[in-house]
Amino acid sequence: MSISRRFTPQQDGRLLGRFEPIEADLLRLATTQLLEMFDSGATDPQLAASDAVFGRLLPDAYRDDDEAAAEFRRFTATGLLERKSQNAQIVLDSLGASEPDTATPDSEDRQPVMVSIDPDAVQAWLRSLTDLRLTLADRLQISPDGVVHLATEDTPFLRELYEWLGMLQEELVYAIDV
Amino acid sequence: MTQTAERTELREEVSLDRPWVTLVWDDPVNLMSYVAYVFRSYFGVTPKQAERLMLQVHNTGRAVVATGNRESMERHVEAMHGYGLWATLAKADE
Repeated sequence: MSISRRFTPQQDGRLLGRFEPIEADLLRLATTQLLEMFDSGATDPQLAASDAVFGRLLPDAYRDDDEAAAEFRRFTATGLLERKSQNAQIVLDSLGASEPDTATPDSEDRQPVMVSIDPDAVQAWLRSLTDLRLTLADRLQISPDGVVHLATEDTPFLRELYEWLGMLQEELVYAIDV
Repeated sequence: MTQTAERTELREEVSLDRPWVTLVWDDPVNLMSYVAYVFRSYFGVTPKQAERLMLQVHNTGRAVVATGNRESMERHVEAMHGYGLWATLAKADE
């Protein structure tokens, strides 16, 4: 099997990424939902404080000192959430707008999506892919030993997406880490 | 937006008090390659040191990745949370 590299380093320091249209659509969709989740967390701190996903995205900084953990959260949560939102937005911006499909209704005719990512944006991508995976892991009820406990009709799709995002992140790490 | 410019060295900062430590905990989600990358790019350690720390997290459940005063450790923990790693701070030897 020939391995075509997804990310190719360019001379100007950018990475050129190649996505199948369906992959770009999926990543766009998942990242949009992530962004919506961050927005809801930013406007409703109560939700952010009680929701398990936010508990993992913004974990307690002190394990045995609730007061210090709450204070740390008070000083950092807003900024961290803002940066996570910015990272997700950068991923969406890199991917560009969804191609209107009207010209080529047959999805097989759609061209690969080429994405140019500068070094700062690569950092945003790495972090955002992590946030996506952490969020999906919560949905999939992945236990500390890595076992998926969600058993619904959504499980196979979510699991595949989770693993694909991991592969994508690893490809990104290897592409910048020569 | 990112904090990669803010490289920090893994060395003890002078303090008369018992120092604080930054701990990174194992989780089932983050990839070993990514965790090692974060240690390299944020703390500026060598690939070998990063690999060793990453394996320590993976095999023993956690690793001390920095030592110093409380303020610096809080800064590191916040940065780790930015990367999506599970990090905490504590007094040394707790």
